[in-house]
Amino acid sequence: MDSETGQRIVEATYACVARFGLSKTTVEDAAREAGVSRATVYRYFPGGRDELVDAVVSWQYLRFFGRLYEEVHGADSLEEVLERGLIFARRQVLEHEVLQKVLQTEPDVLLPKLTVESNRTVGLISGFLVPYLHEHGLPDGLAVHEAADFLARMILSYISAPGRWDLTEPAEVRTLVRVELLPGVTGVTQIVDR
Amino acid sequence: MGSARLELVRGDYPDRAARGVGEAAATPQRVRLADAALLCIARQGIAKTTLDDVARAAGCSRATVYRVFPGGKDGLMSAVVDTEVARFFSALALRMGAASDLEEVLVVGMTEAARRVTEHPGLSFLLEREPEVVLPHLTFGHMDSVLAVSSTFTAPFLGRWLDHDEAKRVAEWAARIVLSHLLCPADGVDLTDEARVRRLVRTFVLPSDPARRASDPQRAAVPPRSTDSAHTGGIGKIDRPPRSTRTHKGEAS
Repeated sequence: MDSETGQRIVEATYACVARFGLSKTTVEDAAREAGVSRATVYRYFPGGRDELVDAVVSWQYLRFFGRLYEEVHGADSLEEVLERGLIFARRQVLEHEVLQKVLQTEPDVLLPKLTVESNRTVGLISGFLVPYLHEHGLPDGLAVHEAADFLARMILSYISAPGRWDLTEPAEVRTLVRVELLPGVTGVTQIVDR
Repeated sequence: MGSARLELVRGDYPDRAARGVGEAAATPQRVRLADAALLCIARQGIAKTTLDDVARAAGCSRATVYRVFPGGKDGLMSAVVDTEVARFFSALALRMGAASDLEEVLVVGMTEAARRVTEHPGLSFLLEREPEVVLPHLTFGHMDSVLAVSSTFTAPFLGRWLDHDEAKRVAEWAARIVLSHLLCPADGVDLTDEARVRRLVRTFVLPSDPARRASDPQRAAVPPRSTDSAHTGGIGKIDRPPRSTRTHKGEAS
């Protein structure tokens, strides 16, 4: 088994999901789209349809956060990471046509899967933030992992549901970061105006 | 099977509450049947709960259930949600109304909310066994509605210490923090534990208030932050972008 074929099947399944939705995509559809036999699909995904769909969600999810990482990893400061990350991630959510379509038509199928993924993601985001927090410095009595966990779950929350904040407006994002994300982790450090 | 629609929070909720009209008034019989349905949901979930089960639990006939809820299961489930949401916010009001300062109102409000949700018999069963019924109402666009409703309801209790707009913002923020920990529990952060919530509130929500900082032994050594900058952040010191559209998206206009 080569991973290239496995990946090709996942991408083919994604194309089917874009057309038919999560529930209506079958192993046959995926096989046809990938140009392989049903048996081949089952060899790579013995769990069949359910395993395939899970793999598609995981793949898209990783891609999403991979892009987010690309967007922010060059940032110089914690503030910049948060601002650029929020703007970029929210835009990706809004512009992701397949995600938006599935959220409209099959939220009951997608959301339990996304929630499983998001538990992992809090860990990923917070791990990414740790070096920035070290560099930034924290007030006495605040552990790095505690600050990182808080920031990570808030970021995920705003990306999913911005509430009163318009994350397509850089000025609002800047305010959000300064008002709800940074104060706790900055201690007495004055936030420098840019 | 599992097709009953569970509207946890309707977008027009504050509006409906203001007008005092729901789909039907909360008569004692509706509430009794809703409670019987809740009992069934806590035992066997929504998909497996039939109107017969509810009738049996309520000690009445199936015909009675249909008379009170002509829409059948969907209407009954809506009544369960309405009843439970009303109870949830009354319990919050009781606790938050008795608080004597901003820290306290946030701590008791968030703790009570977390306890009510995690200890709710029906909701915990559903989150565990039928997440597909609940999660769509707590994430993405629907979470915006939940945030808007929570903020509209709890902001007045913060309004004793914060101006109107700021109270709404902080109320939404607090709801967001609770929701995040409920959907995605963090190691060692149990929001039903008041001491843990107090730490969260002191660490992340109130950090720019010099008076509070001085009273917190963990921060006592840190000199108060200068408050003359518009960019200091935290509660009460917001530099708002010059926009006029800072309203809840889910709010009735």
